[in-house]
Amino acid sequence: MSGRRRARGSALASSFFVGQTMTETSPSASHSAVSPLRIAVALILLVGLGVWAYTLHASDAASRALSFSLLTGMAFGIVLQRGRFCFFCNFRDFVEKRDPRGVLSILTALAAGTLLYHVVFLAWVPVPLPDRLPPTAHIGPASPVLALAAFAFGLGMAIAGSCISAQLYRLGEGSPTAPFALVGAACGFVLGFLTWNPLFLSVISEWPAVWLPHHFGYTGTLAASLGALALLALLVLALAKPQPSAPAETPTLSGAFHRIFVEQWPGTIAGIAVGIISMVGYFRVAPLGVTAELGSLARTAADTTGILPETLYGLDGLRGCATMVKEALFSNNGLFVIGLVGASFASAIVAGQFTPTRPTSGQVFRGLLGGALMGWGAMIGLGCTVGVLLSGIHAGALAGWVFLTFCTAGAWLGILLIHRFA
Amino acid sequence: MRPASFASALVLAIGLTASASAEPLVTADWLEENLENPDVRVFEVSVDVGVYERGHIPGAVHLNWHTDLVDPVKRDIASREDFQETLRSAGVTPETTVVLYGDNNNWFAAWGAWVFDIYGLGDQVKLLDGGRKLWEAKGLPLDTASPSHEASTLEIADRNNALRARIGDVLNVVENGSDVQIVDIRSPDEYGGKIFAPEGVKELSVRAGHIPGAKNFPWGKAVNEDGTYKSAEELKAAFAEIGIDGSKPIITYCRIGERSSHTWFALKHILGYDVRNYDGSWTEYGNAVGVPVTNLAGTVWTGK
Repeated sequence: MSGRRRARGSALASSFFVGQTMTETSPSASHSAVSPLRIAVALILLVGLGVWAYTLHASDAASRALSFSLLTGMAFGIVLQRGRFCFFCNFRDFVEKRDPRGVLSILTALAAGTLLYHVVFLAWVPVPLPDRLPPTAHIGPASPVLALAAFAFGLGMAIAGSCISAQLYRLGEGSPTAPFALVGAACGFVLGFLTWNPLFLSVISEWPAVWLPHHFGYTGTLAASLGALALLALLVLALAKPQPSAPAETPTLSGAFHRIFVEQWPGTIAGIAVGIISMVGYFRVAPLGVTAELGSLARTAADTTGILPETLYGLDGLRGCATMVKEALFSNNGLFVIGLVGASFASAIVAGQFTPTRPTSGQVFRGLLGGALMGWGAMIGLGCTVGVLLSGIHAGALAGWVFLTFCTAGAWLGILLIHRFA
Repeated sequence: MRPASFASALVLAIGLTASASAEPLVTADWLEENLENPDVRVFEVSVDVGVYERGHIPGAVHLNWHTDLVDPVKRDIASREDFQETLRSAGVTPETTVVLYGDNNNWFAAWGAWVFDIYGLGDQVKLLDGGRKLWEAKGLPLDTASPSHEASTLEIADRNNALRARIGDVLNVVENGSDVQIVDIRSPDEYGGKIFAPEGVKELSVRAGHIPGAKNFPWGKAVNEDGTYKSAEELKAAFAEIGIDGSKPIITYCRIGERSSHTWFALKHILGYDVRNYDGSWTEYGNAVGVPVTNLAGTVWTGK
């Protein structure tokens, strides 16, 4: 390759791989930056969503679940946006800058949710009998295919800049990559549907859904999970480098407003909030997940083209973010996602972090490619960083830990590749 | 409390208990009054996973339709040993009044009542009229804790097959003219053969239509708007319209036997007719080889 061609290739690569950082925003240091107009827009949006949730709430259980899903999605969206609870960005901060705060936030969320899920389990399934699983908890089969799917997901989120849940909250921040990542994810889902049957018959069906309390009891599972998370936290802290931090301020009214609505929330607070929302969501409606509706939309759309297999084997009997051909306009998961995007948008507007920009060709390409890998991984793995990693580890599913391991490996490889080519 | 009001409350309480022991149905109000009654054991039979755990009638025990009421391997009701063990661990004794309720219009709870009846507990079993839907609609309390009851040593009877029709019994009517009336409680479109199965349910039969001679009585005709059963008089009149008056033995069926349990319960326990439930239903009959079928619509399986 000639020098000129190499230079042109390198410039193209950097436009592919550098653009993502544009979506990241850092909180302003000023306390007086929030305009009343922004607050008004956010309030109208939040009140509108709240009124919708109120009108949905009727005497039957199905309407109450829809209403509650919308509210839970709003809470999740606010926490994700305010806490910048993005699986990939937090991991990248640690890898690139040795900043441990984001990863500690994720580990906090895993620990808090695991603890709280067990409170629910002890009420619902006091004894983990061998042939019973806690109802609807995301305890999927922990197969080599899951490992592959998680790896693809991790690689995809590195290429697209963040995982599917973070793309959803970044949609509310006006991210130029997020829409393409979500379109790519829908295409990835279709690829997942096309490859599901052979993978299920040859591999997935042979592997059991391992629920750790069946093997270690609740005490053993809690001890092992919290112990493993503590070890990971120690490892992260041992490798961490000191980061610049703002000096502590005396609390004032404007200062408190700023810290809540503009500055990024402390990682531990966001982590605990995510753990609480995960438990509350599971307790009332279903485990958290963000891909079931996206997958169902992709499946419903692709179904009309006739390219999908008529039956996806075994999907009915497996736990996780399974997709289905849509029959109702609004599902619990659909309203959860609408609440997430709407509330994160409101939150971003107040914080001055709604910064829509025209996407570059690199962002389009990375969004589509990374999204496709994530979509395939989320379909084959029956969920993503939220549905399998978070809700799975909370529920004591081995699959959650498998996803964590291989998704991290995929993301790591993705970061190395990006550094290499950028 | 004044003696007079105490006495009237006592009479009311005795009356309520007495009415519970005599009637096949209990009302939501009666059940709310009797939640603390140690002689009443409530079971939820819901088919949707997670419904029970996320809120059930306080003290209700979960009967999982997929595993506790049926044999999980072969297509059959739960074995005597398994069912007895389930009831023992729930503390059911021969003196217990069992109240069943569930989601999906009480269909699966009615299936449960049929299984209880087959194992000789029919006199002890009541259905909560209106099921879970009415309980929720009335805003009555739900609980999420798992109840714990002292195990009993209940001995249940062997199966009473007189309550259950098998395909041979049905063919005996169709082919040999046995003097039994068959009631198909599916929708008119399923009965007429226009569709193989209701919307949202897999087509598990390769033939459409109904058993020759069966009368169509869609299950919903037996209930009011709020899901409660119609009165005995109304039910009697409604069945009389299709020529079912209890003068002959009856067989009810549907697709898998659960909706027909609901109608079976009305015919057997509210009207006192001689009735059997055919749990093989259309998913057995509509797949059987060489049996007569009436298909009014002429739908051909996978045919164009």
